[in-house]
Amino acid sequence: YRDLHTFELQAPTRLIEWARGNRVCVAGYGQSDGNEILQLIPPPTLLTKETQGLCPERDFKVECGGFSERPVYSLKYVPDTSLLVTSGPPDSSLQVWQVSAEDTDVIKSVSTISTEDGTGQSWAKIATISARAPWVLHGSRLDRVQITEVESRKNVYTAASRGSEELSNLTFLDCNTLLLCCVTGRLWLADIRQPQSLVEDMSVPSVPCSEQWCMGTRHAAQGLEPSSQPVVRLSSRGLLTLTDLRKTSELLALAKARVPSPGSGAEFLCVSWAPALEGYLAISGFDGTVHVYDTQSWDSFGREAEPIFVHKGHAFGGAGGSGDPPLVTAHTWHLQKPRTLLSASSDGSLHVWDWVQPCGKC
Amino acid sequence: MPEIKVTPLGAGQDVGRSCILVSIAGKNVMLDCGMHMGYNDDRRFPDFSYITQNGRLTDFLDCVIISHFHLDHCGALPYFSEMVGYDGPIYMTHPTKAICPILLEDYRKITVDKKGETNFFTSQMIKDCMKKVVAVHLHQTVQVDEELEIKAYYAGHVLGAAMFQIKVGCESVVYTGDYNMTPDRHLGAAWIDKCRPDLLISESTYATTIRDSKRCRERDFLKKVHETVERGGKVLIPVFALGRAQELCILLETFWERMNLKAPIYFSTGLTEKANHYYKLFITWTNQKIRKTFVQRNMFEFKHIKAFDRAFADNPGPMVVFATPGMLHAGQSLQIFRKWAGNEKNMVIMPGYCVQGTVGHKILSGQRKLEMEGRQILEVKMQVEYMSFSAHADAKGIMQLIRQAEPRNVLLVHGEAKKMEFLKQKIEQEFHVSCFMPANGETTTILTNPCIPVDISLGLLKRETAIGPVPDAKKPKLMHGTLLMKDNSFRLVSPEQALKELGLAEHQLRFTCRVHIQDPRKEHETVLRVYNHLKG
Repeated sequence: YRDLHTFELQAPTRLIEWARGNRVCVAGYGQSDGNEILQLIPPPTLLTKETQGLCPERDFKVECGGFSERPVYSLKYVPDTSLLVTSGPPDSSLQVWQVSAEDTDVIKSVSTISTEDGTGQSWAKIATISARAPWVLHGSRLDRVQITEVESRKNVYTAASRGSEELSNLTFLDCNTLLLCCVTGRLWLADIRQPQSLVEDMSVPSVPCSEQWCMGTRHAAQGLEPSSQPVVRLSSRGLLTLTDLRKTSELLALAKARVPSPGSGAEFLCVSWAPALEGYLAISGFDGTVHVYDTQSWDSFGREAEPIFVHKGHAFGGAGGSGDPPLVTAHTWHLQKPRTLLSASSDGSLHVWDWVQPCGKC
Repeated sequence: MPEIKVTPLGAGQDVGRSCILVSIAGKNVMLDCGMHMGYNDDRRFPDFSYITQNGRLTDFLDCVIISHFHLDHCGALPYFSEMVGYDGPIYMTHPTKAICPILLEDYRKITVDKKGETNFFTSQMIKDCMKKVVAVHLHQTVQVDEELEIKAYYAGHVLGAAMFQIKVGCESVVYTGDYNMTPDRHLGAAWIDKCRPDLLISESTYATTIRDSKRCRERDFLKKVHETVERGGKVLIPVFALGRAQELCILLETFWERMNLKAPIYFSTGLTEKANHYYKLFITWTNQKIRKTFVQRNMFEFKHIKAFDRAFADNPGPMVVFATPGMLHAGQSLQIFRKWAGNEKNMVIMPGYCVQGTVGHKILSGQRKLEMEGRQILEVKMQVEYMSFSAHADAKGIMQLIRQAEPRNVLLVHGEAKKMEFLKQKIEQEFHVSCFMPANGETTTILTNPCIPVDISLGLLKRETAIGPVPDAKKPKLMHGTLLMKDNSFRLVSPEQALKELGLAEHQLRFTCRVHIQDPRKEHETVLRVYNHLKG
């Protein structure tokens, strides 16, 4: 490590979201009400590019907070507004909140976007964009995907129905293109200008369907085609696939991560691209570790890949012996510092770490 | 309705000096008397004119309580007691009483000698002020007068820091001062029993922080020391005699052992003597671990840490030295600093806050050319690092304390109103108590519901229990009696006994009422029917 900071949150979080001004947001997902949504200001050491050693301010500060009656499973800021959207069980409705750090430090609940619920709906996955207006893309299943305007709560788009599989992630590739990932691993592309278009990406490897999948996408730099960035999918057994959306018939690469099996379920599976390092990604959700991989050496044979770095901090943190070993619930990359990540685990710990590139050997 | 009034004269909504006035059941108590370290003029003292426009402070205040020796809690005490004028009792714990005068004298020296201030207290004033101090032990109930009592609880944070419970009759207030809910290497965690005060006054400076773990801070500290020593540099750590110094020593000793390092570590002798002396006096104030090691061996018999001699400062090669005083304003640490400042391989690590005007403060603010005595300019090329291990309670800690004490109301000081709204809601939601956040000079009134104890006579009790079923312990039971109030005592007795005691005869009042009954039957038949009804 070049640097490692460990913090303890009052309640564990399963999301870490970046907000304007380098703020970080976490939220509780406990069953009882009184879950807190916290917007945090990271310590100055994380805000500057160079790493400082000893610094008077080393703590996260809670800038503002809100109280949620339901567990918060997903949270996304709505760009260019002071709003954020959350979702969580028991149904697939969304809650809209106002963050106004001016006269008060309380995040207030503003409205709810409700969806027609079938019974047994799980929680909605969400993505936001503010290209034409503040929109939120949401849905818990493939046949319930829609885009709603955040402020007016009007429905702007509904995706064509292609089945009722549960979704694991969804995202805007650009202001017109959506990418959806189901838990079965199937990827779907949609153009919102053409209401009935929903095209499946055919490149899912044929593996037993007992696995659950999630995906990670990378936001392209300005000017580049969004679909030129490969999409990575991670399965609950550790399989990683890279796909180029322009050539969906074949996989760019396939690799296997060394993860404990049987896996602890797919609840917290998370895979993400490094925003500042080409070809690097991180995975977590199998145990108390976060793995970092360099995908540039991968091929399509599905060999086992060696992680460049493994963060084991969460596994050692926890209250000795009592209860289950901590499980990493979420991780995210720092937007500017290339090798810095933040990770959270089920015991409430929040780590910020900066790994050193191993020199030479590989 | 009875009420408790709280007015922060300092703290309230700014960090800097703590001085809170509490009015409870007719008694007036001042909590802490701190100096604002950021100002150079009269703004650094709390505004005492608020207390009483005319009339002597000694008559108005029943006592003053000081929570711990940090200057932002006791810095204005000599000014208050000697220059403004107060002769009543001042309560603090034994370690605080021992350490306060040293810090006050140091501070006075810096302010008057170095900066040439005139409106400041003198050494004699500090001495006179300390004569008014009454030292208290932990968990010892101290009767200030017939009605007012106080009790100190362990607060962690620094040696001798205490939280105080102030009780008059059945109304009580708990003031936390600065406290810490997580134990560190040399101090335990704050603790209080379920005393259920009407009001808990808590600091909230760090309520909005999520602290970096101690392990990380320590790791970074050790890394810096190691790097400097590896490249042949010298590390100077100015410390106050007690507290953090022990922690850092233990930390370095363990690290040196593990890494098998050879560079010498020194502890200046003045420090050893003072520290040993204080530790012997206040060993009960440290935590379990320290106490155990103290029993087994002398605190300062470390394998790798030796006593320092002035001449060693000139020795070539790497070394680490702990020296007093902590702000580099005089004495040995300043001497060593002057010798080592010119070499960029060396490092000085400031372990805490430095008062304005000290060399410590100057170098922390980035100054690299210092004017020393005799107009000599000292160029500082050595690395300057700052590291704070000071321990305050964060949001989690505050919730823990509230959970332990179970107050009926909470008042927060030491934070900014806007930034405390979230914490206020959190406390109100979780504990269903009211939370207040007054500004400086603003008085908060808290209504209390005191229980008035009443003695009940045995005869009455026996009679009531004989009637009807056994009363349920949890349900209130209605009973009849006569309340006798004499002086300050209340007694509940049976009416007969009351009459006897008061020497009154019982009066019997008979009410008659004329009722018209329309009944066709004969007179004596109707009377019989009514009579049978009543009997049955």
